[in-house]
Amino acid sequence: MLAVAGGIAYAHEVRHQQWRDRLLSTLPNDVPDDPALVAFARAEAAPLFAQHCAACHGADMRGQPALGAPSLADNVWLYGDGGVYEIERTILYGIRTGNSKSRSVTDMPAFGQRGVLSDADIRNVVQYVLKVSGRRYQVEAANEGRRIYTGNANCGDCHAGDARGDTYYGAPNLTANVWNSGGEPDDLYKAIYFGQHRTMQAWFPTLSLFQIRALAVYLYAVSREPAAAVASRGTP
Amino acid sequence: MSAAPADGQAAVRRSWPRRMLERALARPGRSSVLPLAAVVLGLTLAALGMFRGAPAPLVEVPPGYVALVNQKGVLESDLISQVENATMKRFDEATPEEKRRVLRSMIDEELLVQRALLLDLPETTIEVREAMQQGVEAQVAEPYWSLPPSDAELRAYYDKTRSDYTNDGTMIVHDLVMHVGGFQNANQSTPQALSDAADAVYRLRSGASVDYAKEHYGFVDSNRLPAVEELDFVVKMRLGDKLFEVASALGNGEISDPVVDVDGVHVLVMDIRRPASVADFSSVRDKVYQAYRREQGERATAENVRLLRSQAEIILAPGQEE
Repeated sequence: MLAVAGGIAYAHEVRHQQWRDRLLSTLPNDVPDDPALVAFARAEAAPLFAQHCAACHGADMRGQPALGAPSLADNVWLYGDGGVYEIERTILYGIRTGNSKSRSVTDMPAFGQRGVLSDADIRNVVQYVLKVSGRRYQVEAANEGRRIYTGNANCGDCHAGDARGDTYYGAPNLTANVWNSGGEPDDLYKAIYFGQHRTMQAWFPTLSLFQIRALAVYLYAVSREPAAAVASRGTP
Repeated sequence: MSAAPADGQAAVRRSWPRRMLERALARPGRSSVLPLAAVVLGLTLAALGMFRGAPAPLVEVPPGYVALVNQKGVLESDLISQVENATMKRFDEATPEEKRRVLRSMIDEELLVQRALLLDLPETTIEVREAMQQGVEAQVAEPYWSLPPSDAELRAYYDKTRSDYTNDGTMIVHDLVMHVGGFQNANQSTPQALSDAADAVYRLRSGASVDYAKEHYGFVDSNRLPAVEELDFVVKMRLGDKLFEVASALGNGEISDPVVDVDGVHVLVMDIRRPASVADFSSVRDKVYQAYRREQGERATAENVRLLRSQAEIILAPGQEE
């Protein structure tokens, strides 16, 4: 019986290793074309997510505004195009980890605290952000906010002139109405006043290359699920 | 012709593991068989573990890597990143030649890094040591920077470091000198010069011009200072500590008492004085913020070093102190 059990376990391990090799041998952005591989990666990654990622991003993957940890359940990405390769790069080397391979081109300046914008300026910019994100806003303040946005604050340098952001800088798309640190006017005010300098650790080599690839595929797959499916999924 | 199998035939059809198990259980000494087998198996595994050699070197590149350089892997993800950066194209749009060129440069880089480690550059080359030190400092500082200070903390930091925001004072000052002795005025004695200078000071304070003092008392410009507004530290450098101390105490339009210096008796006439002052918080907010962040980084480094020290074994030679 022991031999049989051992044989079964060995066969399982060999089969598992073949899947792992297949996952790593496939170019990251080609993995989603192979549903069986995606299913394998998801099964492998779900417990890893619960163990390593859920503390910040939430067990339901919807993020935690208090920590500035973004929701991973939508298809809105701070860095890269949301493909497996770009997600994997973020997990590999992290965000603002201090090493040069991490995502750290720039950060959000503390416009209020550094005295670049006055209290009134910031409130006007907040109204403009409410406008571009499709919410109720004060017209005159938003117009003034737009002038500041494109003027001395140079917000467009990172968030783009049309406020759609730039995933190279990690500057959020302000028109998407998706907020990492809360989207209420007070939250927006604080983000502009104090700036943002969120970090995420590099997971390489804490996790193996295979585990990171599996997580990247998992996040890619979840981000493309219909919202209803994500809502009903609950804890991964 | 078929018939129901006899009991013996049914026994023959049982699987071999079951038969072995039944046989083991049927024996009187069965209670010791399984533990004994477990012991033998455990000892065998332990022996295998103890005497197994070092892992064999990799002869194939593992999945996820594109090359092995002296057993050190080059990540496929890094190749993609570097190809895209070098060619400004998506990886799948880059030509095979472009990919080859980038991979070659990555392998060269890895070889040089390995060579650097072999040459022990971190031990022998100051620039490498500094780069490593800065790399670690950057890593430990980043998380600190994610916690912005409150306004009260920033203000308290400004109050604590107020002297860092002092503007240097400026002045336009005439330095008149009545030379004593030497080829310039060989017959003049110091007491006589002091007496004349005191009289000149009285006149100047009464409204006489500098030219009047020069013409009637023999004062000349010391030429230590140009007649333009100068920063305090420049004035100090040119006048010397003794005269600068006198000058910095004068207000706009004030005349100093006579001061004896190495070359004669000096009188200082202050045209414009802008004393040093501390910039107010609102005008230097950005500098305060940057300085606070720098200090956060330094604090992070200090804590990191403290932790490393607590975990390190450091032995000093006799007579050495740190």
